[in-house]
Amino acid sequence: MSATLPLLVLLTLAAGAWLAAWLDRLIATGRIEPLAPLRVGAALLLRQRVTTEAPDAMNWRLAPAWYLALAAVGLSVVPFAPGAALIDSPVGIVVWGSCEALTVVTVFLHGWSPNAPFPLIGAYRYAAIGLPVMLPSMFVLIAAALPAESLSLVAVVESQREAWNLVRQPLGLPLFLLVGLTLTLRGPFDYADGEDLAGGTSAEDSGPGRALWQLARLAMLVAFSAMAAAVFLGGPLGPWLPGPVWLWLKTAGIMALTVAAGHWLARTTPGRMLTLLWVGLLPLSFLHLAIAGALAL
Amino acid sequence: MAIGWLSRLAAATPPPVFAAVGPGLLPATERLLARPTLRRCGSPREAAILLVAGTIPEPAGAALDRVHDQLPHPRASFDWDGGGDAEAAIGALWRGLLGGGASEPDRLPDEPPNSWRGEGDHGQGGEGMMGGVPYGRPMAMTGDDLRDGLSLDLYTARIGPFAPMLPPGLQLSATLQGDLVVTAAVARPPFEQPAEADAPEACAARLLRLLGLGGDADRLLRGGRPRGLGALAAIPTGLAADAQGGDARARLRAWLGGEMVDVVCPDPGDLLVGLEWHEATLALASFPPSALRRATQAAEAA
Repeated sequence: MSATLPLLVLLTLAAGAWLAAWLDRLIATGRIEPLAPLRVGAALLLRQRVTTEAPDAMNWRLAPAWYLALAAVGLSVVPFAPGAALIDSPVGIVVWGSCEALTVVTVFLHGWSPNAPFPLIGAYRYAAIGLPVMLPSMFVLIAAALPAESLSLVAVVESQREAWNLVRQPLGLPLFLLVGLTLTLRGPFDYADGEDLAGGTSAEDSGPGRALWQLARLAMLVAFSAMAAAVFLGGPLGPWLPGPVWLWLKTAGIMALTVAAGHWLARTTPGRMLTLLWVGLLPLSFLHLAIAGALAL
Repeated sequence: MAIGWLSRLAAATPPPVFAAVGPGLLPATERLLARPTLRRCGSPREAAILLVAGTIPEPAGAALDRVHDQLPHPRASFDWDGGGDAEAAIGALWRGLLGGGASEPDRLPDEPPNSWRGEGDHGQGGEGMMGGVPYGRPMAMTGDDLRDGLSLDLYTARIGPFAPMLPPGLQLSATLQGDLVVTAAVARPPFEQPAEADAPEACAARLLRLLGLGGDADRLLRGGRPRGLGALAAIPTGLAADAQGGDARARLRAWLGGEMVDVVCPDPGDLLVGLEWHEATLALASFPPSALRRATQAAEAA
């Protein structure tokens, strides 16, 4: 199993990114076009990569690569079978948490580097929203780690043999979905690339650079969905089918839910969302952690 | 070889189109771009086809050329008078570009819009390392925040007349602090549009798009019903109040219910000051295009 884990991680990222793009199109247009993601990618690869005046060229090129790398690192701590993760870290949840925090930095760099007003506004907005979203994320993940008495994702999965965390901690997954929407720049939490900013941090992206950034967004959706499946739906645990298949099925389910929420929920203004996050969701996630702590005692 | 294979794969994608809309053609362009066979782009960098709808008045000609030159190669522009089969013509242009057709060259020389007008050792202008307008490019300079008095960067720019989040033709001269509008003045009013542009579904679609519900906006324009949730709740109460006691949320509610809205829009300069940029774009889209045009003309005359 351990020899195939690197391949499984890469295969999951690639096939998952394709599935995510396909779901995106299916939910947006109702059309079943399995080749559409590849066609759109091909169209972007054939276009020129335009640059702006005096950009931070290195960070502009590196931002999509960081984003992809963070998705891969995040996925590498997720167990594909009971007891088998590519990186079986005793602090897997902390590794994922650092990927979340560095995503905010990466999206900021993506908006900062073209040296243009709308991308820069998108970058600052995302940083302002990103911080109060990451805090509930940590509370929710620590609450999920309490029954396992460990920060290892392998242990968190093992702790769900009797009951999934979705049942024990029903608030956890909805709160974590908000984090997913933020990490993948989607719908109600896409404060980086909004229509009011002509595409925000992506407004100056063209050609292969745009293709890579969009691919990285999809890869992060795969990593987030797999993480949510492992933390709340028992990851690879399940009868009859092999562990990786269960993880893939649950990951696809979370992915569809995140894509649908991205298309069907309206995005409010940044100022109101900040109030909602600091005054509403942050105390709610703390209450969730306190209840989980009391139950674990 | 690989390029030919990629071209064949890409040819079946909807053509990516950025629209520069002139007088009279806003409703027709919105309906055209709501079709699933075309892809509406939020930025010229994303597009291959520049759709020039109608006759662009001369003061906006230079801005149109700048938008044209922002499209990556290979690119083509399509002048549309509102008639004929635009969808097929754009599709043919797109397939021609992918098949190795000639890309349009830049219309403007690749040089700064203004000559060097600077002060200081390096002609940078402003004070120290900030401010000034070197080569006609406004640089940020610190100033007091409207809300808490903290000294933060102010950035003045002209936005429009083809900025996709503003009504076509509207050019704003705005000073932003982060995304807070500190000052705003109308440099040019929006282009005149037919009465159809004030139709409830068209007005609602513009607001839904700014709220991240682009799919719903297209559905409305194609005669369907929106499916998204939270559009009304997403608009702050009291935003863009009108003299009749309504606000942006009330107008969207009326439009989604199929009612026409007939209101007087306040002076856009006063309307926008103190709003965040997202709120400002919602405020402008929350008035029917005819009411907004009347208000900007009244402000100009005053």
